[in-house]
Amino acid sequence: MKKDLLALAAVVLILVFVFSGTKIQSVDEYYLTHIDDIREDSETVFLTIRCDTVFDRWDDLDPALKEEKYIPADGMILSRTEYVLRAGDTVYDILDRAVRYNKIQMECIYSANYASVYVQGIHHLYEFDCGELSGWMYMVNGVFPNYGCSKYNLSDGDEIVWCYTCDLGRDVGCEWQVGS
Amino acid sequence: MRYFDRLHPISAFCYFLMMLLVAMLTMHPVIVTVCYLSSVTFLGMLIGGRKLLSSLAYSVPLVLMLAVTNPMFVHRGETILFFLNDNPVTREAIVYGVFASMMLMSVFYLCRCYSEIMTADKFIYLFGRAIPKLSLVLSMILAFLPKMKRKFREIDEAQRALGIYATESYVDRIRSRMRVLSILLTNSFETSVETADSMRARGYGLRGRTSYAIYRFTPSDAMYLLFTLAAGGALFALILSGGADFSYYPALTPLTWSPRDAALTLLLVTLAGSSVFMEVKETVLWHYLRSGI
Repeated sequence: MKKDLLALAAVVLILVFVFSGTKIQSVDEYYLTHIDDIREDSETVFLTIRCDTVFDRWDDLDPALKEEKYIPADGMILSRTEYVLRAGDTVYDILDRAVRYNKIQMECIYSANYASVYVQGIHHLYEFDCGELSGWMYMVNGVFPNYGCSKYNLSDGDEIVWCYTCDLGRDVGCEWQVGS
Repeated sequence: MRYFDRLHPISAFCYFLMMLLVAMLTMHPVIVTVCYLSSVTFLGMLIGGRKLLSSLAYSVPLVLMLAVTNPMFVHRGETILFFLNDNPVTREAIVYGVFASMMLMSVFYLCRCYSEIMTADKFIYLFGRAIPKLSLVLSMILAFLPKMKRKFREIDEAQRALGIYATESYVDRIRSRMRVLSILLTNSFETSVETADSMRARGYGLRGRTSYAIYRFTPSDAMYLLFTLAAGGALFALILSGGADFSYYPALTPLTWSPRDAALTLLLVTLAGSSVFMEVKETVLWHYLRSGI
């Protein structure tokens, strides 16, 4: 009987541990984000999210996504917008704040291999949805950094573009892919 | 007397082949539902209501568990219900989980029906000549689980007689079970080696050996075979031409009733329901004839 009680206690402990680490939010709570007002002295960055490359590879696109609702006619999911840069913000922080504020669906996972966040899909458009070489890449001031978005620390006036590639970066002008 | 017992092995095999292929080929909710319901009913006709209920008692919680698990790992989908640790739990992912597990269960039930009907001798009769080694291995694999279940009970009883469960503690009981399981595994390894040796000693698969089989291919067997082939072929043509395309993410495709969808559903209901229909017909006929004596 002593063993039974011990086993029961262990199971309860595990359950408590699991549930204490679980956070449940309603949809409105999740999207409730604070965007700082832009003042004269505030540091800012610009963010664009675009997926116009899929128009060149329209046949490869998942048929379920071939709607204006998912792929805007101009390919702009978020047109160039200015956001306030907080101290220590990375590319991922800005993206997360912007999509929450604009209620754009976004999914990402933390990849321990690269010690960074990897963005799987934005606005229901996911990696591999337009051919097997497709996915999201980011560009800062016209350069594609070859590392994860939560490792890139931004500075004032940076220009971030998230673009959807259908060809491993070659169709969006990523030079280290074009060369290879 | 069950209809499928009297049916020629090739007709029965063809039915199971067609149904398994259809069940595994598509995730369309209507097709999955029809396959699930028909396979469960068919198994009920074969093994009886009570046994079916005890089997459903395991499988229904499994379906529910998978339906809960999928949305924890898949966050795609438009209709967000709530956020769990900053990850959306969507209606689409839950629906996908339900139908994926139903598909799994319908294949599982079809395989149960298959092992009820297609006994080892029928399978060997069909494929023993063409692929002696593979058909032996397959029939051994298919017989493996029922055999292990029986063996497990034997070992369990022997160990019980030795006093292994004479304890109140739940933990100790689980440990005893583990011991029985390890005995079972050792035993089954040994048995399989012995079976292979004894089969070889008896000259299994050698040239010139004949075997006696009692199956006769009657016109009604031919009719059923033709029916399954025709219905299955038409179904594959419809499915492969995109008649059963359905996407769960980002939004569920709305179900429509175009002539093609109606034809597909009708064909599937006829094919999947034919087994149940035949069994019911046979039972009714049996009772009618017996009442006349």
